[in-house]
Amino acid sequence: MRQTALQTVYELAKIDSRIVFIGSDLGFGTLAEMKRELPNQFFMEGISEQHIVGFAAGLAKQGFVPFVNTIATFFSRRAYEQIAIDLALHQSKVILLASGGGMVYAPLGPTHTAIEDIATMSALPGIRVACPADPLEMREIVIASSREVGPWYVRFGKGGEPSIIDQCTKKTGFLKFFGQDDRPILILTTGIMLHVAMEFKSKSENFGDHTCIIHIPILEDRELDNLVNPLKNAKRVIVLEEHIPVGGLFTRLLHTAHKYGIDSRKFRQRNLLHEFSHHYGSQKDHLEYNRLSESGILECLQDYNL
Amino acid sequence: MKEISNLNEGNDFSINYPDSKELRKRILDVVEHAGRGHVGPALSILDIMDILYGAVMRNIDGDSNMERDRFILSKGHGCLALYVVLEKYGLIGNENLESFCSFNSVFGGHPESIKLSAIEFSTGALGHGPSLAVGLAVGAKLMNTHSRIYVLVGDGELNEGSIWEAAAHAYKHKLNNLCMIIDRNGMQASGNLEEVLDMEPLREKLESFGFLVSECDGHNREELIHALDFEEFDSDLPRAVIANTVKGKGLKEAENSPTWHHKAKISSEEIQILRAGLL
Repeated sequence: MRQTALQTVYELAKIDSRIVFIGSDLGFGTLAEMKRELPNQFFMEGISEQHIVGFAAGLAKQGFVPFVNTIATFFSRRAYEQIAIDLALHQSKVILLASGGGMVYAPLGPTHTAIEDIATMSALPGIRVACPADPLEMREIVIASSREVGPWYVRFGKGGEPSIIDQCTKKTGFLKFFGQDDRPILILTTGIMLHVAMEFKSKSENFGDHTCIIHIPILEDRELDNLVNPLKNAKRVIVLEEHIPVGGLFTRLLHTAHKYGIDSRKFRQRNLLHEFSHHYGSQKDHLEYNRLSESGILECLQDYNL
Repeated sequence: MKEISNLNEGNDFSINYPDSKELRKRILDVVEHAGRGHVGPALSILDIMDILYGAVMRNIDGDSNMERDRFILSKGHGCLALYVVLEKYGLIGNENLESFCSFNSVFGGHPESIKLSAIEFSTGALGHGPSLAVGLAVGAKLMNTHSRIYVLVGDGELNEGSIWEAAAHAYKHKLNNLCMIIDRNGMQASGNLEEVLDMEPLREKLESFGFLVSECDGHNREELIHALDFEEFDSDLPRAVIANTVKGKGLKEAENSPTWHHKAKISSEEIQILRAGLL
């Protein structure tokens, strides 16, 4: 997904000289072609997350559209005040491309795993938080972010995901539906959790046909307001997110349920534990450990006493 | 740099650029109405503000003019000085400055760009201005404009690490259109800098980061013009002007007094004491 995001920025920059890329602490050779072909629109800056966010806000004030890329936790923890003030308060048109959302960097330990970033970023007024599921959706979001006002935080999942968004049966806003939304089982996902839900739906003989998946890449009320009927109609609602249990998709859905008088006792949640992990291993290991898996979904379904 | 004699075109300098006593009186009026304010930090930068807006910055009355010089008050708590200077030069429209800090005022205890078009960026949390200024300066160069970017930081604010991140990048990008002004009043809310965190030798620090450094009396208007009115092509380096100032300058009671860094619930008696010591 990161490759798709950066390549899309490059393509946009070729046709719009206002679009610039700012990188920090990235791998050698990142966007080498853009650096060579569009040197005035490419900035590889020092390891200075506070600075690059302010720098981007200054450029945005001059009419440029900066896409800024570094590791998710370095944005969401180190540069939080700059994101709040220089971007959100000013409605600066700056797009933060956050590499390594969730447990992508699990082998590198808790300094690098972005477990609470959706909560902290979503808590700020005026910033759009996006968690695309695959390269197709990443491209959709990067293009959309370049056209809309205000700042974005775009959380990257792991690399090399196959594209599955094009299998959706319906689109509403950024929401993607997989199956009829009057099914008794509703699985709601954000980010790469869509892949887990799709695996479950395709493999489960007992539940697959009774399941609708709705993928929610942008966590904001105007998107979630489109979920009222499916949430009302479903008998079982399972929420999957690669994030701590508070402040993410599940919390937003509780607000939606409260707002529209929907019984949230039928909601179940699969998420990361609300603690810093001291295990390493792969992202997949951590998803399994936290039951963010097909078997974890099955356990949720068996938990109902309907 | 321009010569003072050219700027004045033979007129008496003190007539063209009179001292800031009237502005200090205006700050006192505003503080009396609001009953609060960062008095000391405003008075240390008042002459700098007045000279910047009155004699140095170009095209300041057209916010859509890309050639205009820009100013960021990174130490946003000094905003009383900025407000009275903007008022003096007709840059706040019909807004009532005496509403300072009241519920519907456009004049907050820190300046907000959403409230006043003359404010470039909202500031208040320290250490943000220089990075914003680097972005403006790089943008100005990319657009081949000749606007100069000024950012004013406090010497206590230099404790913030983000200032030095920005400083390193200003040199990297050869931002000879950028000028960082340091209000060296030697104090912060907690006390004297040399006791809290001494940032000296400041000139050497700034020079080692690649700045072209000059130093001036931050209350001497001729020296300020000399230091602040620069031409980009004179150097490839970003500029730093160390303005030696007095916290609370011009109000005897407040001068060099950490007590007057910020005060709320200022009594009429305290205002009378300040007025009696107006210099």
